[in-house]
Amino acid sequence: MEQQMTFDKAFAELQKLVRQIETEDIQVDTLAAKVHDANELVKYCETRLRVIEEDVVKERE
Amino acid sequence: MPETQKLSEIVNEIEGTIRNRFAGRTFWIKAEIADVKKYTDKRWCFLKFIEKMGNQVSAEIKGVFWSNSYRQIELFEGATQQAFTSGLEITCNVAVKFHKRYGLTLEVVEIDFAYAVGKLELERKLIIDRLLQEQVMVQDGTSGLYYSRNNRIGLPLVIQRIALITGPDSDGQRDFKKVIGNNKYGYAFRITEFLTRIQGDEASGLVAEKLRLIEAEQNKYDVVVIVRGGGSDTDFKSFNNYELARQVALFPVPVLTGIGHDRNTSITDLVARQNRTPTETATFIIDYNMDVDNELESLKERFFSAVDNRLLRTSNDLENYRQRIRNLSPETILKKGFALIMMDNKIVCDPAHIPENAYTQTLLKNEIIHSKVIEKTSNGTANDI
Repeated sequence: MEQQMTFDKAFAELQKLVRQIETEDIQVDTLAAKVHDANELVKYCETRLRVIEEDVVKERE
Repeated sequence: MPETQKLSEIVNEIEGTIRNRFAGRTFWIKAEIADVKKYTDKRWCFLKFIEKMGNQVSAEIKGVFWSNSYRQIELFEGATQQAFTSGLEITCNVAVKFHKRYGLTLEVVEIDFAYAVGKLELERKLIIDRLLQEQVMVQDGTSGLYYSRNNRIGLPLVIQRIALITGPDSDGQRDFKKVIGNNKYGYAFRITEFLTRIQGDEASGLVAEKLRLIEAEQNKYDVVVIVRGGGSDTDFKSFNNYELARQVALFPVPVLTGIGHDRNTSITDLVARQNRTPTETATFIIDYNMDVDNELESLKERFFSAVDNRLLRTSNDLENYRQRIRNLSPETILKKGFALIMMDNKIVCDPAHIPENAYTQTLLKNEIIHSKVIEKTSNGTANDI
């Protein structure tokens, strides 16, 4: 995951992934990678709700 | 040696004169009040009425509320959302009394709230008009709601880093922090406190000063929270202050207020995001994060159900293909009673390739029939099936 990830970014990416998989014909080959990404994003967001990270500050500057 | 009188004689005469002149009469006066001292247990209040010419006091007299009129003070505070305190101008009905020991006093019978409320309303309206004129805030034509730059800044998806402006050791501070600290969902918050007096006339200036400190490091905060609670119902003035309202309206970080007024909305509330109390403000923040948490959960479910669907569709597709391939295999065709004709170990697709007298093999389900072609004739239809 990229270093300057923020909750807002991760959330937006997750929304995009969901839209993609719901509407586009994703190839089964790439499905595994998408599932991995989605899992990472969800985990990141869930953690960020419960932990404060300082690098969020830098990102906003 | 001049002839003297007893003090009591002259005091009695003064008393009599005043009684004759003023007994049974009351007067409506408009004056500023000063040196207000309330004795809540006895329900007395001592004060001074003054009138000024510029900065000079041009008239001054003692005033008092006895317990039979003390209720007027409470009604005044309720109606105006303002503490009955020195510096106010009030309109009241008074009786002139002289006491042999305590001298001349105006006893207050009644306060004219309408005057006080009207005056405050007018002040408030002037400030709102000015802010509208300066385009620091705008009023929505249909909803009547006020919008400022501040209350239109979008909140981040998660609120975590809170700059808290509140009174030290105040109920507001305790209530807010308690609710935030006890959130059962385990959301993380970091509260940076900016403690200051948040009651009284100086409060607007003190809050403004804290806002400037926060603005200097605005990237460190998701929101600014201004809260106070517990018996502050009577002190509304500081949040109707023009400078403070303007500063909040233009403030770059979203401001959430919970300044403890049930009935009224201060101008500062109008230009910020208002909650009624410190507890409600804290609850708002937790609910806000919970909403995004729920949305996250539903995104997760949607994603994985879409993945399942996708996989199911693929496996159905595969099954379809398998079925079609099975249907088309020579074995299936032979089982159905069709035959294959072979010549020189090759399947013959085009009968034109079979000359007369050729040796052919006809493949059936269980047997092969070896034949010699005696004659070829057209069957009257197209050959291709």
